[in-house]
Amino acid sequence: MGFNVNFSKRNNENFYLPGQEIKIARGTISSKSYTTESDNVMTCRSRTIVALVCFVLAYLILGVRVSYVCLGNGINIDTAISESADADVFRFKNPVKRADILDRNGEIIATSLPTVNLYANTKKVKNPQDVAEKLNYVFPDVPYEVFESKLSRRGAFVYLKRNLSPAQQMQVNNLGIPGLEFENCETRIYPHKNLFAHVLGKTNVDNEGISGLEKYMNERLTTSTKPLHLTVDLGIQNKIRDELIAGVKQFNAEGAAAILMNVKNGQVVALISVPDYDPNENIKVAERPMFNFATKGIYEAGSVFKVFNTALSLESGKVKVTDRFDTSHPVHYGRLRVTDPHGSHGRLTPEDILVESSNIGSSLEISLVGKKFQRKFLQSINMDKALEEFELPEIAKPQFLSEKRWGEVSMVTISYGYGISSTPLHIISAFSAVVNGGLYRQPTLLEDSKHKSKRVVSEQTSESMRSLLRAVVVRGTGKRANVDGYQVIGKTGTADKLENGRYNHKKSISTFISAFPEKDPKYALIVVMDDPKASKETYGYTTAGWNAVPISKNIISAVAPQLNVRADFDLEKQKSIVDAAYKVKK
Amino acid sequence: MGKFKMTMFGLWFTLTLMVALGSSVLKNRVQVLERKLATINSNIQSDIAQIHVLKAEWSHFNTPDRLRKLAYEQLSLENAKPEQIINYSALHFNYEDESAPVLMRSDKKGLTTLVKAEVKKN
Repeated sequence: MGFNVNFSKRNNENFYLPGQEIKIARGTISSKSYTTESDNVMTCRSRTIVALVCFVLAYLILGVRVSYVCLGNGINIDTAISESADADVFRFKNPVKRADILDRNGEIIATSLPTVNLYANTKKVKNPQDVAEKLNYVFPDVPYEVFESKLSRRGAFVYLKRNLSPAQQMQVNNLGIPGLEFENCETRIYPHKNLFAHVLGKTNVDNEGISGLEKYMNERLTTSTKPLHLTVDLGIQNKIRDELIAGVKQFNAEGAAAILMNVKNGQVVALISVPDYDPNENIKVAERPMFNFATKGIYEAGSVFKVFNTALSLESGKVKVTDRFDTSHPVHYGRLRVTDPHGSHGRLTPEDILVESSNIGSSLEISLVGKKFQRKFLQSINMDKALEEFELPEIAKPQFLSEKRWGEVSMVTISYGYGISSTPLHIISAFSAVVNGGLYRQPTLLEDSKHKSKRVVSEQTSESMRSLLRAVVVRGTGKRANVDGYQVIGKTGTADKLENGRYNHKKSISTFISAFPEKDPKYALIVVMDDPKASKETYGYTTAGWNAVPISKNIISAVAPQLNVRADFDLEKQKSIVDAAYKVKK
Repeated sequence: MGKFKMTMFGLWFTLTLMVALGSSVLKNRVQVLERKLATINSNIQSDIAQIHVLKAEWSHFNTPDRLRKLAYEQLSLENAKPEQIINYSALHFNYEDESAPVLMRSDKKGLTTLVKAEVKKN
């Protein structure tokens, strides 16, 4: 037994600490009275003291710290914020869920506004007629019968009016009708109305994209509130649209389309198709204004295709810029008789063939090259497939002949623009590749797009093509597009309109595709007029040179300075301009 | 009870009281700050929504047609023409010479242009 303690013999002294009752010998521990019991008591006492000191120390530390925090500047709020793991507390989210769309200068072209919908719990509405009358007073545009019919339905939930203005919401609130409730929502706004109708498309009542970029990028726009930056330019788009509308009016055309593209990177700076519509309006729009001719309108481009025909001929190495082709007589390919609408021209170089827009010359060129190379080249510039990577759902697949149907006659007709139907977007993308040094770049509407490029013609062919196309504007059908200082290059094309599988010779589609400046093209422009009419000003002509070309000139004159494309006047001429402007005394 | 124990006990009691009091003050301060934070958060959220609406309004006011009309009416400005954009080398004065005196030229519409007076240039 280690312990021999008699608890019954307790002395009369008070116990203060636990274990004190088992203390046998009080006072200091002497070597004489040293026992096992006294050792235990000592241990207990020392432990108690240690615990007490620990408590005091702990509380002392706590007390000092609390006093420091409470009385002084114990916490640096900036440090606390930066060190806070829960940093989300300080991040605020825009209550609007659908992301804005901005043009390349950061201007808002589509945004959403917070708004409310008015709905009714019809079970709580006691007198539908009375409520309908009151609501009709607040919303005079909605007939009384509509409200009355909705409020009399059996279902518990019915929308009465969407997208209320704050004033309307207050008016309804003031009516104090039980059963009428508000639902927070947002509505899409297009501040520039019709201007970007065919680029942006629109959303439905639930703010989901149903056409255009709104549809194509719906997931991106709804999963991130970060604005979406496009390549289009508000000012340029507006100017081109104005010119197109003026052109449609002047030439009494059914419609028109234009695309301005940066040939260096494939970015679309402007894309317009008129007629168009106001996406803010929630009304049913006619079919034609809803139709995006620029990306979905497939048509035979006519002589514009001679650009690709000449490019592929030069690229094949079988045709040289110095070669001459006899175009003095019509040429026969089976039952096909190829003639030139403006009469015979004699022996023409590839440059002359483009300047005179000779069908015979084009057919002779392609006869040297062959259909295999022609088909392969046209496939390389994506004339056989829809441009699915372009960020609009409204795209079309060109009508490209199968290999079996690609006979000699097809080869010849394709050389001057009949037999393949494509969209203006296809044409301008391919044209950009021909003039930009030979690299095909996928067209895009997104600023951060990183499409890969591919070589379709050599730099030498591209340089030759620029020179040939400059001649078209200097002395050919594109003369009216010769903007002083910008060395415009281009090619016209006019083709009969295909209606119900037959060519209508009274209707045509005229195209002018251009780029500027010649030495180092930065931008390409395509203008397409759908069924322009002849007038006194055009001397009865409906060809592109009389309508699409002057419109293009107006567009280039207006937008080139805005695009920072340097005008290349000769120095003496510029000095005379300065003299005239400032009347400087010498 | 020993003096030491009494002192320690007293100290412990005092410190407990101090901690309790301090905690209470701290809690109270934190609650006040939390209320302030909630109000500020709510205001920020509301301001963000208002700024968003104002941006949309700003964009609406910045329609090119409206700006063009205003620029023409108020400032007599028109679209720049290609021939108006010239090389520096065509200027009759040294545009980099800041010491050159500047002249004012007014046209018929009352528009004033500043031009540098130095004419001679090598």
